[in-house]
Amino acid sequence: MLKSINSRVSLVLLVIAIVYLIFSYQLPSYAYTEVDADVIPKVLGWLLVFLAILLFFSKDNETEAQRQKRNIPKKEIGMLLGVGALIFIYIFLLEILGFILVSALFIFFCSLFLGYRSHIVNGIVSIAFSAFIYFVFTSLLQISLPSGILPL
Amino acid sequence: MGAMEGMLTGLQTAFSLQSIFFVMIGVFIGTFIGMLPGLGPISAIAVMIPITFGMDPTVALIMMAGVYYGAIFGGSTSSILLNAPGVSGTVATSFDGYPMAQRGEAGKALAIAAIASFVGGTVSVVLLMLLAPMLASVAISFSPAAYFALMLLGLTAISSLSEGSTIKALISAVAGFMVVTVGIDAQSGTQRFTFGNTNLLDGLDFLVIALGLFALAEVCTLILNRKDKSIQNAHKIGSLKLSKQDWKDMTGPMSRHSIIGFILGVLPGAGATIASFISYITEKRISKNPEEFGKGSVKGLAAPETSNNAATSGAFVPLLSLGIPGSGTTAVLLGAFLVLGVQPGPLLMTDQPDIFWGVIVSMYIGNIFLLILNLPLIPYIAKILMVPRPLLISLVVMFSMIGVYAISFNTFDLYMLLLFGVIGFLMRLFSFPAPPFILAFILGGMLEQSFRQSMTISNGSLSIFFQDPIALSILAVAALSLFIPLISKVRKGKKNN
Amino acid sequence: MKKLLLIALFFFIIVLAACGNSDDADAGESGDSGEGGSWEPEESIEIVAPAGAGGGWDTTARMVAKVLGEEGMIEENIGVVNKTGGGGAVGWSYIANYEGDPHKLFVASPPIILIPLNGQSEYGHEDFTPLSNLIADYGAFAVREDAEWDDLNDLFEDMKEDPESVTVVGESAPGSMDHIQFVQIAKAAGVDITKIRYVSAQDGESLTQLLNGSVDVYSTGMAETVEQVKADNIKVLGITAPERLEGEVIEDFPTAIEQGIDETFVNWRGFFGPPGMDEASIAYYEDKFKELSDSEAFAEIRDQFGWDEEYMGHEEYKAFLDEQKEQVQVLLDDLGLNNE
Repeated sequence: MLKSINSRVSLVLLVIAIVYLIFSYQLPSYAYTEVDADVIPKVLGWLLVFLAILLFFSKDNETEAQRQKRNIPKKEIGMLLGVGALIFIYIFLLEILGFILVSALFIFFCSLFLGYRSHIVNGIVSIAFSAFIYFVFTSLLQISLPSGILPL
Repeated sequence: MGAMEGMLTGLQTAFSLQSIFFVMIGVFIGTFIGMLPGLGPISAIAVMIPITFGMDPTVALIMMAGVYYGAIFGGSTSSILLNAPGVSGTVATSFDGYPMAQRGEAGKALAIAAIASFVGGTVSVVLLMLLAPMLASVAISFSPAAYFALMLLGLTAISSLSEGSTIKALISAVAGFMVVTVGIDAQSGTQRFTFGNTNLLDGLDFLVIALGLFALAEVCTLILNRKDKSIQNAHKIGSLKLSKQDWKDMTGPMSRHSIIGFILGVLPGAGATIASFISYITEKRISKNPEEFGKGSVKGLAAPETSNNAATSGAFVPLLSLGIPGSGTTAVLLGAFLVLGVQPGPLLMTDQPDIFWGVIVSMYIGNIFLLILNLPLIPYIAKILMVPRPLLISLVVMFSMIGVYAISFNTFDLYMLLLFGVIGFLMRLFSFPAPPFILAFILGGMLEQSFRQSMTISNGSLSIFFQDPIALSILAVAALSLFIPLISKVRKGKKNN
Repeated sequence: MKKLLLIALFFFIIVLAACGNSDDADAGESGDSGEGGSWEPEESIEIVAPAGAGGGWDTTARMVAKVLGEEGMIEENIGVVNKTGGGGAVGWSYIANYEGDPHKLFVASPPIILIPLNGQSEYGHEDFTPLSNLIADYGAFAVREDAEWDDLNDLFEDMKEDPESVTVVGESAPGSMDHIQFVQIAKAAGVDITKIRYVSAQDGESLTQLLNGSVDVYSTGMAETVEQVKADNIKVLGITAPERLEGEVIEDFPTAIEQGIDETFVNWRGFFGPPGMDEASIAYYEDKFKELSDSEAFAEIRDQFGWDEEYMGHEEYKAFLDEQKEQVQVLLDDLGLNNE
């Protein structure tokens, strides 16, 4: 039954729609408006339920190329997760360690991780780019970026 | 003083050596700031306010205006080259600009954008000069019911924004609409789907969604294809030269969308983002080869670029002739006017014609500067594509993150960016188109608000949508645009049978 | 495996850097002076505008920072930082983390009272240290020039008879400034405030809706009405100030009080610090803001924006804020909107 991609995706969408609807029905009411804040969300929620059901029964009309996209080798998935993890660490440390340091390290390691092997160029670019942006934002435009632990 | 005389004073002011010099500086600063991630016209003007304090008001405003459209112009660069729009007005630019650059024609794409911007900007400034006083009444003619109709018209285009499954396109759109319901509801003050999180009270910023769904999702694809030899074309910049056919292709969209963009810019609340989307959709709908759109079509690039620049000048109509700031950007610009001791309002044109016309005429000069400043720079800017792929990917990620961080200076938005990057990638994998999502996100909020405003005003009667002539005629167009393709489909079907 | 190592290395280096520096940070903080005595800032001062660039808070913060710096009132650098979100809530929760740090200030106005009462922020004005108020602005209620009402009493008489026949528009959501200022005056005039129809419209659409006749009354700030009044597009029925103000056009705006409605609403704007600031640093800022308020440079800026001078020191400010809060609380209770 659940062989087709469409039916599997539609089940996920159905779950999203139901969760969204549950929260929609819990919205507090406000007395001074004709159409309250919960009306549109409820309409959207039920619309998604309806569309998900349609999708469940619809024929899979993807082209071969589109299907091919989903065949990602294991190694490549690791690659994506790795970059995702780097981004996550970046966000986590941005306001703790400061913009220049974390950005430079991010660019350097992310490029290295993706297979860039000119370490010197990589180092120069990562530091120069981060320092340039930092300088332009903070000194020229007076927009503060986190300075962090560097004595700036 | 008559309008003619005022205009002459304006010309004199604008063509003084000093003004030309400051327009040039303004345009240069604006373009530069616009190219920086996350900084669009709003921040560009805001950072200029303290700097211009104490300057001669006319000159300062002329420079500000230069900064304003320079910033919008600069935003298209990253859209085209990196699929990472720096400003919301240039998201639609990436739909065809980026594929064109990937094909090895980055130079051409940037040149088309520059020329389309120039035309859109120039035509709309001419319209502004000739029609500003008359258009003031157009700017305030739209009731909430009419806005509702206009947003609905925009949404009817969802199916035309994507190939393949209509159901999937609709699901994308509903999802986009759902995301925009997050935050404090303006009509009731109710918090919706915020889960007690302070960061969600204002909802999600458009750029978080756009950069996630486009730039980060594209990064995923780039990572997977990084060793693919067939895409080495993407490192090519190509010639800036446009063929005769390109010119021919551009003429239609440029003339159409100068006007569409301008009118949408005049309406308070609509603005450059909505204008660029509506233009893109319209162009695709009337095109004989809609299947070329999204794959690097010249028309698909020229339409939104013309439109967002035209809308930018259009936004000056309510600001200069009524003192109504129709967008976040013009609100900041209004602040800049106030700081300089100039109060834009219905009387600005008669009381201070040198400022009124000076600013308008200088916009014209500014557009010329933009073109001469930017065309020669294109080959250098496009060199960013020569950067080795792993490094380029890191820089695109970095660019997106700075862009989001510069909106609210809050890491929460960055986590949201990451989340929408993942969502965008999954959508790609399962062939759910992203443009309907974005379109519903842009139009949905206004659709809901104007609908509910109308209902409050009418005490809950739907008749308000049929009593307002503007609303009624737009609704009629919306109905037609839904049914005509259906009818023609049915007819075609019959023929084939 | 190699890739994993790389990520680990990235993390390791960063943690190392973090540890290596934490000592310095501690050393810096202990340098603050204790109770009593005088205090001077030791590092650059950060003024938070809890909203995006270009708004009222941002403009005030940037202008104040500029005058304080350029006139040499404060030697240390003053930077303006935007913390956007939740109508201010994001910025407030940011400041609340810097307990006792006299180098973090923020600019505030009535929303810091209204938003917590609407249940949209866990921090209210009591959670911070009010330093000085600087300026005051007042609300105005405008109608189209050809409207049937000529003063507030005309309008409120009609609203008493049939409250639903009148639609009021403002920029902000119900429960926030534009709404509350109207409700406050209407209540004093005897209108049933639970029946008032209020529409919120952003991005200049509120004035548009008034001009094109979609709505009847526009509740806004005084400055927003001046140009339209000059052009004979709208008329101002009343303002929320205690007495008439000076200035071209503005001097013609009648107050609610002189029309027999004994009520005012102040859109005050001043500077706050984080919770738990010591007396010496409070005194320092009171002093500096007083100097700023009295300076010619700031007077010029006030004129340009049409702000009224309204200096209040720490103690007076605190009492004023508590009183404001009580007033609003009563209103929100009446409306059933109190979510604190």
